[in-house]
Amino acid sequence: MEKGKLIKIGIMSFAHMHAHGYAACLKKLPNVEFVGIADDDESRAKQMAKQYGVRAFDSYEEMLASDIDAVIVTSENANHRRHVVLAAQSEKHVLCEKPLATTKQDAEAIVEVVRRSKIKFMMAFPCRFHPAFKRLCETVESGALGKLLAMKGTNQGQCPGGWFTDTKLAGGGAVIDHTVHLVDLMRVLTKAEPARVYAEVDNRLFGGDFDDTGVITIDFTNNVFASIDSSWSRPKSYPFWGNVNLEVIGTDGVAKMEMFAQKIDIYSDKTGRHTYEYWGDDVNLALIDSFARSIAEGKPVEITGEDGIKALEVALAAYESAKSREAVDLLA
Amino acid sequence: MGRVHADAYVQMPNAELVAICDTKLEAAQRLADKYSVRAFDNVKSLLTDVDVDLVDICTPTHTHFDYIKAAAAAGKNICCEKPLTRTTGQAMEALRLCEEAGVVLFPAQVLRWFPEFRKMHDLIVSGAIGTPVVARTSRCSAYPRGTDDWFADMKNSGGVVLDMIIHDYDWLRWCFGKVKCVYARGLYERNIPLTDYALVTLRFESGVIAHVEGNWARPGGFVATVEVAGTEGLLSYSSTESVPLTIELKAKGEQKAGVTVPESPVSQSPYYLELEHLVNCLESGCRPEVSAEDGMEAVRIGEAALRSISTGQPVALA
Repeated sequence: MEKGKLIKIGIMSFAHMHAHGYAACLKKLPNVEFVGIADDDESRAKQMAKQYGVRAFDSYEEMLASDIDAVIVTSENANHRRHVVLAAQSEKHVLCEKPLATTKQDAEAIVEVVRRSKIKFMMAFPCRFHPAFKRLCETVESGALGKLLAMKGTNQGQCPGGWFTDTKLAGGGAVIDHTVHLVDLMRVLTKAEPARVYAEVDNRLFGGDFDDTGVITIDFTNNVFASIDSSWSRPKSYPFWGNVNLEVIGTDGVAKMEMFAQKIDIYSDKTGRHTYEYWGDDVNLALIDSFARSIAEGKPVEITGEDGIKALEVALAAYESAKSREAVDLLA
Repeated sequence: MGRVHADAYVQMPNAELVAICDTKLEAAQRLADKYSVRAFDNVKSLLTDVDVDLVDICTPTHTHFDYIKAAAAAGKNICCEKPLTRTTGQAMEALRLCEEAGVVLFPAQVLRWFPEFRKMHDLIVSGAIGTPVVARTSRCSAYPRGTDDWFADMKNSGGVVLDMIIHDYDWLRWCFGKVKCVYARGLYERNIPLTDYALVTLRFESGVIAHVEGNWARPGGFVATVEVAGTEGLLSYSSTESVPLTIELKAKGEQKAGVTVPESPVSQSPYYLELEHLVNCLESGCRPEVSAEDGMEAVRIGEAALRSISTGQPVALA
């Protein structure tokens, strides 16, 4: 691929709401061209294409047969494998929404398909690109906090509803949706792998047949322990969709990252609500820019399918632990 | 804590501080002089030489049991600083001895008299957030430096898991009832100097899941936070955001940086309210709101957490 050329990108499915965030970035980034949208739901494809001023393709096959370079897969979790395989067959690079898949089998199949192809495959873990996280990594790496001992993370959100609460399509509920971001950040920070997982999981917030509450504890291979709260425990009246918070405990100090703390409070009589308006960096911009650059410059992607597997394994182990009522060893 | 309790008793119209005991006589004497009361360097003399209705034990945790035994044998009512005892076995024995002696054993789980924690309890119980489902508490401070650094003797103090977040176990039990299962990871047994940290997950019989952070590694000083999510809302509290007064002073003389002191003053100290409740109960013969069983159950949770830290598996509470 010649340098300086625009990377042409299409979006496969608007099932996941993050597609909107990515679409907005595709319109903004100077090094990419947002070509079009294909969707299982044709009317959604048409509607979104109109909204973003891009082409609506009649099918994934039609979009993949066009001259696009890459796709962003933002379909339901259970459909990732099918869509990545389609893209790989057409030799289109893929940026894949998290979680990688709903089962380890599907996740490994995706990585295998990618391995046997020439495409670049990147996991959408945009939180890695937040400047506060980068500064946290620098601080830990500099040794300023001493030896890393423990971490505490939350990725609590409002219940997204829709297919996210359909365990067949989502692979679970809150735990599979919200555990993976923090596992990924923790792996980057500790430079170690999850070794043991214990979880308390329940469905009592909404009483549905999906989990809405998860408190997960992880031991890493380097003796660092951590917890993640992945609950959909922000009520509808909460001022923001949720949070990504991470605290780090070291022998010489502690650090606390609140990724979305850069906000303005709005108290509106128009809506009768209090809301946060976030003004910090758009992490999706950096994510897609990184993806586009790795294609344009022939560089390895920053976040791999293996990273996706590692994060997914913890979420799946959390379900297993909640069922067995025991800690689950990942390295066994 | 002995000083705080002594200060509370002398302010009470219906209580009289009569003696101070400390194994270090000069320490006892210093405080005794302040209040013009007698000083002792051993409990035996205290219990025989003065006629008291209540003995208040504020010694290091591992010594609680022996003092409870001595006070109960002398037929004295007992207020005991948390944790009630170092082990659940000791607590059971202490309860039995006090029962037999017909004396009150009051565990000083003072959090129940902190107005913010009482308010949160009352809100939760009144259904303000619907049915409670998932709770998070956090209690952070720098490493405590007690007399002879006794906190650093992890075997005796139980570290952050037993000494610090026992407050939260008790408050959570008050709000959500009986704990069914405990899982914990922590630095207990890791021997990191002047550092302790733990993450404890509790599952209650009512279904509530609670995550409890205990942090003796925070250079920035004390902070406590609570959040409880229910079926109809979310309750959240942070000590750092409940600060009605902040005083900032410019640097002066030798001092390089200015000083910022946040304050959250309340007209009556929670310690006073706690001990006033106890004294009033003793006077009227009513049962205190916090029972010896409550104190024992909090120790049981802490002990289960310590066991979970060493086994890496959850511990069921029968």
